[in-house]
Amino acid sequence: MRSRDRRTEVESVEHARRPGKPNKGFALIAAIALLGTLLSGCGTPESSADDSGGTAPKGDVTLVIGAYSVVKDSVQDIIPLFQKKWKEETGQTVTFQESYEASGTQARAIVGGFEADVALLSLEGDIDKLTKAKLVDKDWKDKPDGGMITRSVVAIGTREGNPLGIKNFADLAKPGVKVLYPNPKTSGGAQWDINAIYGAGLKESERETGQKDPAFAKAFLESVHANIESLDKSGRASMAAFEYGVGDALVTYENELLTRNKQGGKYEVIVPDDTILIENPAAVVDANVDKHGTREVAEAFVDFLWSQQAQKVFAENGFRPVNDAVYKEFASDYPVPPGLFDIKYLGGWKEVRESLYSKRGVWYQVLAGI
Amino acid sequence: MQTSWLRHKGWTYGFRTTVLLYFVILIVLPIAGVYVYSFSEGWGPFWENVSDPIAWKAVLLTLGLALIATLINVLLGTMIAWVLVRYRFPGRTVLNSLVDLPFALPTAVGGLMILLLLGPNSWVGGVAERLGFDIVFHQPAIVIAMVFVTFPFVIRAIQPLLEEMDASAEEASYTLGASRAATFFRVILPQILPGIAGGAMLAFSRALAEFGAVVLVAGNIPAKTLTASVFIYGEVESDNNLGAAAVSVLLLTLSLVLLWFINRVQRRGGRE
Repeated sequence: MRSRDRRTEVESVEHARRPGKPNKGFALIAAIALLGTLLSGCGTPESSADDSGGTAPKGDVTLVIGAYSVVKDSVQDIIPLFQKKWKEETGQTVTFQESYEASGTQARAIVGGFEADVALLSLEGDIDKLTKAKLVDKDWKDKPDGGMITRSVVAIGTREGNPLGIKNFADLAKPGVKVLYPNPKTSGGAQWDINAIYGAGLKESERETGQKDPAFAKAFLESVHANIESLDKSGRASMAAFEYGVGDALVTYENELLTRNKQGGKYEVIVPDDTILIENPAAVVDANVDKHGTREVAEAFVDFLWSQQAQKVFAENGFRPVNDAVYKEFASDYPVPPGLFDIKYLGGWKEVRESLYSKRGVWYQVLAGI
Repeated sequence: MQTSWLRHKGWTYGFRTTVLLYFVILIVLPIAGVYVYSFSEGWGPFWENVSDPIAWKAVLLTLGLALIATLINVLLGTMIAWVLVRYRFPGRTVLNSLVDLPFALPTAVGGLMILLLLGPNSWVGGVAERLGFDIVFHQPAIVIAMVFVTFPFVIRAIQPLLEEMDASAEEASYTLGASRAATFFRVILPQILPGIAGGAMLAFSRALAEFGAVVLVAGNIPAKTLTASVFIYGEVESDNNLGAAAVSVLLLTLSLVLLWFINRVQRRGGRE
């Protein structure tokens, strides 16, 4: 065919020109330049942190924060407070490099070589990833409140006025209710949501039969899951989908809903009687602060997170403060539900990871419909 | 000659080595790595991961939806290429440059636009809901997202063929009394077929791998709206790298077979 012939002609012309020089030289230089940027590109952001961290303690310091995305607003409010305090105490100026990712992604990034000095993550399991990689010392829980800086509860968000009259997780299983929650497979933080529903099932069985019945709890979770409209990538994605009008109810953290309402959202925040207490940890990444020479300031920053000042910022951003005095101040905003349980009610994180989220665990069975 | 150093043989070798190195570092190593890793614990775990019903249903669903998206793109793309090449109208060059936009736009933004324009609060979404079917978070949205991100492939593959096409064959067909339809199917279509096939294959393998737009608009529910790429992401996020690699190998092998097939089709087209 003619068009084909023409194409081969073009190719052969190019073939003939191949020994031509100027083009080739340019291409070679371009190729080398590209390769160079490619190879050097990987290391740069960390090395800058190295430099500033390594300077004499009297100079300025840089602190690298690796945090989960939901805590971003709070951290950005707390940083100036800490900078002011540190300046007054030591005369040093602290500059911050911040990175916000989903908690699990952040933990993996730090394990993979992102040299954060301080890690704020949404669940203990993600800090455990860092201890397992020998980046955080095993004694990180020796801080006040077991290393936890904020609390929250798993809540249900509904449309304005709660048209379906949803009061607890059992109501989500009613026919025709479209439910949203993120998938714990893609979002570690979503484990809290599933723990809450599963735990509410355990509570229910305990009330009826006097003891916790895992089979009942699994059936309870299945009945809610039957109404799932979308299993989103993350809590943020669930919230976004809900804002675009998808679904009647979403299961997420109380603080996530409160933040959205503060920004003009009009959602009802339903705290079920039976729900789980969320606790979010923070830790100094020991291996990195020793490398950067930033231990002193990193420890001070983490300790500052428990100060009244910082706890107040958390409370204003929708978190339940761990500091009692600050909690009393905000108590009317954050009523304690009567059936509140914590992770220990489910047997602790280790047990939960094995029974619920292991390869063929309860969550897998619910997903696959087994 | 002053430029004799430029003629030195070393350039040729240097250039070839660089290109080969590039190819090895950027393409061969990562892909081979995935294969090696997925079999690193032998056949047993590989098979276990691939035979997981959630995994293979995700792959099957992705194949089906990518096929639909490709068919839509073949039909739409051929028509659009035809209009862009054969018709002259104001705004044609602008439209022509707009075709490539889906490549320049981050796919997540594409997904967000689909949410905005077709979500339940939108006009289209509202009408669809009243008619009793859902778009966003159901399979239609996944197909739309795939069509969006693979939009330029077919068009760009056909355009040069249409432009190069010799008008005399077409004219001869008309002179000999063939109808417009007969001319299209018997004279024009055979000439642009290699382009359609090549573009379709590229679109298909790209649709298989699409993540950014799909994850936003799909409900990600196993066996219903969970695509392979989102499943793989979930496995990585929950620290089952082996499972992620196993399903990737399945997708990669499919794509490799496809690309090899495109090459064959195109070479055969060239020989004819």
